[in-house]
Amino acid sequence: MVDMPAQNPQRIVLPPHRERARRPRIVRFREWARRNLFNSRAGTALTIITAAILALIVYGVVYFVFVDANWRVITENRWLLFAGGYPMDQEWRLWFSVMFVFLLIGLTYGTWASLGRRDHLFIVLASGFAILLLAHGGAAIWSTIWYLIAVGLLYAGYAIMIRMPREAGPGRTLQQRSVAGLLIAALPIILIVLLAFGGARPRELEGFVLNLVLAPVGIAGGLVIAIPLALGRASRMRAISWTCTTYIEVVRGAPLLGWLFVALFILDDVIGGELIVRAMVVLAVFTAAYMAEYIRGALQALPGGQSEAAHAVGLNQFQSMQLIVMPQALRISIPPMVGQAISIWKDTTLVTVILPLRELKGNADSAIAQFEFTPDRIEAYVFVAVVFWVVAFIMSRISQRVEGSLGIGER
Amino acid sequence: MTTETEATPTRDLESMEDIIIAENVDKWFGDFQALDNISMRIKEHEIVVVLGPSGSGKSTFIRCLNRLEEHDAGRIVIDGIEMNDDVRNLNAIRSEVGMVFQQFNLFPHLSVMNNITLGPRKVRRMPKLDADALAMQLLERVGIPEQAEKYPAQLSGGQQQRVAIARALAMQPKIMLFDEPTSALDPEMIKEVLDVMQELARSGMTMIVVTHEMGFAREVADRLIFFDEGSLVEEGTPQHFFENPQEDRTKLFLSQIL
Ligand SMILES: Nc1ncnc2c1ncn2[C@@H]1O[C@H](COP(=O)(O)OP(=O)(O)OP(=O)(O)O)[C@@H](O)[C@H]1O
Ligand SMILES: [Mg+2]
Repeated sequence: MVDMPAQNPQRIVLPPHRERARRPRIVRFREWARRNLFNSRAGTALTIITAAILALIVYGVVYFVFVDANWRVITENRWLLFAGGYPMDQEWRLWFSVMFVFLLIGLTYGTWASLGRRDHLFIVLASGFAILLLAHGGAAIWSTIWYLIAVGLLYAGYAIMIRMPREAGPGRTLQQRSVAGLLIAALPIILIVLLAFGGARPRELEGFVLNLVLAPVGIAGGLVIAIPLALGRASRMRAISWTCTTYIEVVRGAPLLGWLFVALFILDDVIGGELIVRAMVVLAVFTAAYMAEYIRGALQALPGGQSEAAHAVGLNQFQSMQLIVMPQALRISIPPMVGQAISIWKDTTLVTVILPLRELKGNADSAIAQFEFTPDRIEAYVFVAVVFWVVAFIMSRISQRVEGSLGIGER
Repeated sequence: MTTETEATPTRDLESMEDIIIAENVDKWFGDFQALDNISMRIKEHEIVVVLGPSGSGKSTFIRCLNRLEEHDAGRIVIDGIEMNDDVRNLNAIRSEVGMVFQQFNLFPHLSVMNNITLGPRKVRRMPKLDADALAMQLLERVGIPEQAEKYPAQLSGGQQQRVAIARALAMQPKIMLFDEPTSALDPEMIKEVLDVMQELARSGMTMIVVTHEMGFAREVADRLIFFDEGSLVEEGTPQHFFENPQEDRTKLFLSQIL
């Protein structure tokens, strides 16, 4: 957690190293460059070629972003891209959700990790990007203010949690339980805020909002299905393990796109009308098959002594699973699970095939379908790509940090 | 067969009840016979050390005593409770028999405190405060009260094994099984664990210990049992074993290990 572990100073201060470190930075840089960039004739050539290519790319990007591109396609269609058919007079519900999520990120980081310099830099850059986008048109000032409040909440939540002692104890347990509880409750809370009590109808969830709703539902639902599925596959009872294996193999046997078509044409009779619900079901069912395999792998990786020790202290089969085996298996499977989560996040774009579900990419298509903006296709897609990347990056970053601090108990 | 040893002259095992009865126990792994017709009786408060070469069935035998392995034939009765398919019997036996493993098998995701209190709280439904107090008491007993809030990975091997002993004791068992408790430890940590075990033995616990620590066997055991190839080859007092072993296989084994 702390950047510089407190160590015996005698260990760190090695005189020769200190000598080297004392020389002016430019000298050190020159030495570093000679060692790493120009260490041989071939190395020098490679360095020069790479530098030239990099320069070209940077030039191209800068030129495109600041000179060539017409970002009006984005700023003008801001609402269409982000919220689409969501009723404009209910905008506060969207902002509430944004603030809630930002607060949760702050709380999570403060509880299980800490913000490093790079995290701050990323927040500043992403915020710059967001404000650039928001600070246009009529509601510019208010949108910017709401956004800044959200960032403020992130830091406030972080500041409160990071001040709590990390040592194990009743206080720490309470803190962890509360934040975890809030994380679990977050999705239902947000769905209620967005939809209930005069909010939007489900089919009015569109654009980026739709991606942001679909992915967590798919991931959380997938996890809920995956745990019994993994246990079932590992079960000694033939019928159960056979059923679970079949589920996993069948679902993994076809691409998500195929399953979405199934949702569109076949599930009509089974689940009924609401398309968004069908998409959610498909995403969860699809994700579950992959997650179940990761969990099963983790179950196998766990030393058999764990459940034996659990039985030896008198726990029954269920308690041993719930208290000893599953918590450890889930932690082992965090990295592949996050990979799966990121992949399902990007795959939410595929629901566009189920018209009229219009997520971000789908609405970008409609934006450039307007006569005025037909030449700005690339801008629109670049924008979509960047937005997806930002969210995926946040996911992987948070999971890395949280994973690191959960590692305390590892053998 | 059992007689008093000089080390514990005050104890009168003869008058004690048999707390463990094994009769003609067989265990098969596929078509490999790991235990062949094992019979023995162990008295309450008795300390039994099990010896034998690798693969002789020592672990398999003591694991049958709390049903980490199911025996295929014969009878096992623990403190009057028959070991069979009845889950209630199994639960009753498991809360009377504590076990300590060679690899400690602490729960790495739980603090030392929670490792110890888990059994009492979940199985015995003990209130958290009582369980915590009990855990602290046991940590005092094994000599590491200051480690209560740490995680297993933050402890040395010897400390981990002592936590594992405290965890088993937290269920207030009548019998403790030890499967090579010091074999995974660095030499300098073996003694701290053996000391705890010796204290436990003095307190009157019934113990079955698989170990290669001959010093412990000589000083603490009431009875030694020698296994080879799944059979019980010889048993007797430490004196008998170290001064006058009868079977050739026992002699060979002792000559290799001493
Ligand atoms: N789960 C199992 N499946 C198949 N064979 C097993 C299993 N467990 C043990 N065995 C076999 O049973 C025999 C007895 O094993 P056991 O672990 O009881 O030996 P041990 O006396 O404890 O040896 P060590 O001193 O090496 O621990 C060995 O030959 C072993 O290979
Ligand atoms: Mg063994």
